[in-house]
Amino acid sequence: MDRNQITKWLKAPAKMANKYSLHVIYFCTGCGIIEIPPVITSRWDAERFGIIPVATPRQANLFLITGYVSVKTLRAIIRTYEQMLEPKYVIGFGSCPINGGMYWDSYNTIKHLDKYIPIDGWIAGCMPRPEAIFIAVTHLWTLIDKDMANAYIQYRENYEFYRSNQEMALGKLEWPPLYPIHSNVRAVENE
Amino acid sequence: MNESIKEQLESTFKSIVVTVSEDTRIFVNVKKEQVLVVLRFLKDRKFDHLALISCVDWIEEKEFELVYILTGYMQIDEEDTGQERLHLIVKAKIPRQSPRLKTATVVFSNAEPYEREIHELFGVVFEGHKRLTPLFLDRWNEIPPFRKDFDTRKYVEEVFDKIPPVEDKDK
Repeated sequence: MDRNQITKWLKAPAKMANKYSLHVIYFCTGCGIIEIPPVITSRWDAERFGIIPVATPRQANLFLITGYVSVKTLRAIIRTYEQMLEPKYVIGFGSCPINGGMYWDSYNTIKHLDKYIPIDGWIAGCMPRPEAIFIAVTHLWTLIDKDMANAYIQYRENYEFYRSNQEMALGKLEWPPLYPIHSNVRAVENE
Repeated sequence: MNESIKEQLESTFKSIVVTVSEDTRIFVNVKKEQVLVVLRFLKDRKFDHLALISCVDWIEEKEFELVYILTGYMQIDEEDTGQERLHLIVKAKIPRQSPRLKTATVVFSNAEPYEREIHELFGVVFEGHKRLTPLFLDRWNEIPPFRKDFDTRKYVEEVFDKIPPVEDKDK
């Protein structure tokens, strides 16, 4: 352990423990998942950074969106994200979740993922190298230190907007809202 | 072998056009009523594997062209003789206005997912198919997306680009 960090540990032990044990959910979207096996196995060994892949969203607090998101996948992503426990962080991986990438005029691919779920950070590239994942994770540590990785709080506060965007893309959602919806928010803005 | 199968096809069926190209590929252009008969005829002659069904949208001729690619498991192994495996490509054109065709699942049962896919992406109706339900698309209301007159850019502008970005409501 780094001696310089002892004060940080004493000040906020829960935050520091959370920061160094990011459990990433095994969720495969698109082609970027091919970068994950070398990252978590001995070649690059993500466990140096405290990253372990876990099987269920209830155990996870890091969500890597690894590639293009089709309309059907978005439904699964939202359900997975809403099951994860707070604090939870999302990293968009590759250029497709950012703005569609090479699927910019595809009929079946979601273009801007941050319209539907909140994103803490992006890794640009097609495909990003495994080292880019570690750079993103160290950036995420800095953000957690500064209390800036608060996308899940944004999701809670602006849930009406996210939910209405999700319904615009997917039609009526068959699961109940995660947070209470004050239905007059959008109506007031329209007036 | 490809000469003999060509002769057999031409002597059995009328109004059938057989072209041999590259020695290992035989193109068979048939009428849409003949598809099932030709497929069954070829299945009895050791072309027992349906590798793929595909569809081409010839929008200027106002026709869909269905492509059935057949090959055989029982043909000579290419390692022994140096010969490549023979591929038989059956093509049939159907009018674009009323795209209907009899299903090939009665001959090759593995045609089912291919026909479901073509039904979803091109809108071709396969008569007698038991399960023409949606396969890939999620609640699709437009015309089938692989048709040439479907404008993907316009669809993206109307559906995905109209969704507003989420901004913080406090700002």
